Amino acid sequence: MAALWALLGAALGLGVGAIVFRRSTRSRSLRDAGSAASASAAARASAEVELRADRLQAALDAMPNGVIVADRDGRVVVRNRAADDAGGDSHTEVLVQAAVQHHLRAALRGGERSQTVELYGPPRRVVVVHAQPLGADGAVATIEDVTERSRLDAVRTDFVANISHELKTPIGALAVLAETLIDETDPALVSRLAGKTVSEAHRVAKIIDDLLELSRIELAGDLIVSRCDVGTLVAEASSRNSYAAQQRKVCIMIGEIADGLTINADHAQVASALGNLVDNAVKYSEAGGKVVLTATADSQGVMFSVADRGIGIPARDLDRIFERFYRVDRGRSRGTGGTGLGLSIVRHVASNHGGAVTVESREGEGSTFRLYIPDRAVPPT
Amino acid sequence: MDELRKSFHNDLDDVRSELVHLAAFVTESIPRATNVLLTGDLEGADYIIQSDDEIDARSLDLEERCLQILALQSPVATDLRQIVAALRMISEVERSADLVCNICKAARRIYGHKLDPNLRGIITRMGEQAQQLYIAAIESFVENDAAKAAAIDDMDNYLDGLQKQFVQAIFESHSAGTIDLQVAVQLAVVARFYERIGDHAVNIGERVRYVVTGWLPEHKGAARYRAPTIDDTGELPRPATFETGR
Repeated sequence: MAALWALLGAALGLGVGAIVFRRSTRSRSLRDAGSAASASAAARASAEVELRADRLQAALDAMPNGVIVADRDGRVVVRNRAADDAGGDSHTEVLVQAAVQHHLRAALRGGERSQTVELYGPPRRVVVVHAQPLGADGAVATIEDVTERSRLDAVRTDFVANISHELKTPIGALAVLAETLIDETDPALVSRLAGKTVSEAHRVAKIIDDLLELSRIELAGDLIVSRCDVGTLVAEASSRNSYAAQQRKVCIMIGEIADGLTINADHAQVASALGNLVDNAVKYSEAGGKVVLTATADSQGVMFSVADRGIGIPARDLDRIFERFYRVDRGRSRGTGGTGLGLSIVRHVASNHGGAVTVESREGEGSTFRLYIPDRAVPPT
Repeated sequence: MDELRKSFHNDLDDVRSELVHLAAFVTESIPRATNVLLTGDLEGADYIIQSDDEIDARSLDLEERCLQILALQSPVATDLRQIVAALRMISEVERSADLVCNICKAARRIYGHKLDPNLRGIITRMGEQAQQLYIAAIESFVENDAAKAAAIDDMDNYLDGLQKQFVQAIFESHSAGTIDLQVAVQLAVVARFYERIGDHAVNIGERVRYVVTGWLPEHKGAARYRAPTIDDTGELPRPATFETGR
C-alpha cells in the first residue's frame, strides 16, 4: 500500500506527505478508493483528480485574498480560507458576505463589478469586493483587505498638507510682519511688531529643533547606551515641565519607584521621550488637574506610565496621534502651542530601543501613555 | 411532503439571513452615526439618512415574504413562532434604523457647535454600548441562544445609566455656559435615541427567547392581570414579591 502511494507521489512529482495527508477525511476517502479498485487506471485517474483539487485548494488557502467561486446557478462551489476570515466579527462578516453574494449574482448576469466596503467595526476596516464572470460557467469574487493601504494613503496626504501648513504659517507671518515694519515709524507699533516677529521666529526655530531631534532619533545607530537611573529620568521629565505645570495649575506627581532601579538605555533619548509625554499630559489637563508619572520594572525592562485626567483623545484619532504633525484639533488652533512632533519623537525613541509606546484614552476622562523600554546590554567600551 | 418541508425551511432560512443582514446593517450604522455626531460630518449624515430608504424597502419586502409563508405554508409550533417573531423583529430593526437617522439629523442641527470632552466621551460610550447590545441581539438570534438573549436586558441597564449620566452632564455644561439651550435640548434627544436603540435590541432578545422557550416577559404581567382578584378566602391576593423585570 505504501508503495502505491510512493508511486502516485512520484508520478505527480510530489512528496507523499504534506498534500495527500493534509486533510484526514479526504485522505481516508482517497485511501478507500485506492484499496477498492486496487491499481486500476480509473482509480488512479480519480485519485489524481482529487490530488489536483487538493493542491488547488491548498494554493487558494495560501492566498491572502478571499476567493469565492459560484456555479452558473449562483451556488458557491469553491471558497478559500481567507474568504472565511475576510469579514471579521459577526456583523461585519454578514455585511461583507452579503456584498459578495450581491456582486456574484450581478457578475453571473455579465459584467465586472467592484465595490469598496468601509466597515466601522470596531476595528475599522476597508475591504474591496470584486466580482467577474467566468465565461458562461459561473463567476468568481475576490475580497481584498485594503485597510492598511488606505491608512497609509491618508497618512501620506495628511503629512504633506500638515507639514506645509506648520512651516508656511509662521514664515508667512514673518514676511507680513517685516513688510509692515519697513514703512512703520510709530515706535510703539514698531516695538509691538518686532515682538511678534521674535515670537514667530521662535516658533519656526522650535519646529526646526524638533525636526532635527526627530531626524537624529530616527537614526537608530546613534544610540548612546549607558546605565541610567530610572528615578533621575523621571525627575528630569517632571522638572523640565514644572514651570508649565505651575502656569497651568497642574500638579505632577511621581509614583513610588524602587530604590536604585536602573536601566541600560540612551539617557538623552528616553529623557526626551518622557519629557514630551509629561509636556502633553500637562498641556491637555485642566487647571487643578493631576499628572501621575510612574515607572515599574519587570525582568526585561522598565514600563514608564504618564497618566492625566485631562480632555482625552477621541477614539478615531487614537491610532494616528503618533504621526508627524498629526493634530486631533482639525482647526489647528495654536492654543496648546506644540509643534505636532512630540509623540512621533516618543514613538521613535521606543522603536530605537526595541520597546513600544501605547495609549489608552477616553474623551473627557483622560489619557494614559505607557512607554516600555527594554533593558539593553551595554556595548563594550 | 418532504419536498414541501424542504422548501419551507429554505424560505425560513432566507428570511432569517435577510433579517440578520438588516440587523447587521443597523449595527454597523450605529458607530457611523456616532462619528457623524462627533465630527459634524454632513456628508456622512446624508449617506446614513439616504440608506434608510433601502432599509425601509427591504423591511417591507421581508414582511411580505413572512406573510406569504404564513398564508401558503400554514406553519405550526416552533415554525409558526419563528415567522411571527421575525415579523415583530423586522419592525424593531426598521425602527432602530430610523433612530440612527434621527441621530444624524440631530447632528445636522448642532453642526458647528463645540461639545465638551466630557459630553463627547459619554456619547462615544453610549454609541459603543448600543452597538454591543445590537451585536448580542444578532448573535443570540443566529445561535438561538436564549441565555445570551436574556443577558441583553442587563447590558441595557448600563446604557440607561449612561443616558442619565449624559443628561446630568448636559445640565452641567449648559449651566457652565459651554453649550447653549438649543444644543442642550438636541443632545438630550440624542441620548434618548441611543437609549431607544438599546431597548429595540432588548426587544429582539425577548423575541429570541420567545422562539426558543415560548415565553415573553409580558406573560408575567398578563398572568397578574388574569389572576382572580379575590381568592377562596375572600381576601384580595397580594403577590409576595414582585420579581424585578423590565
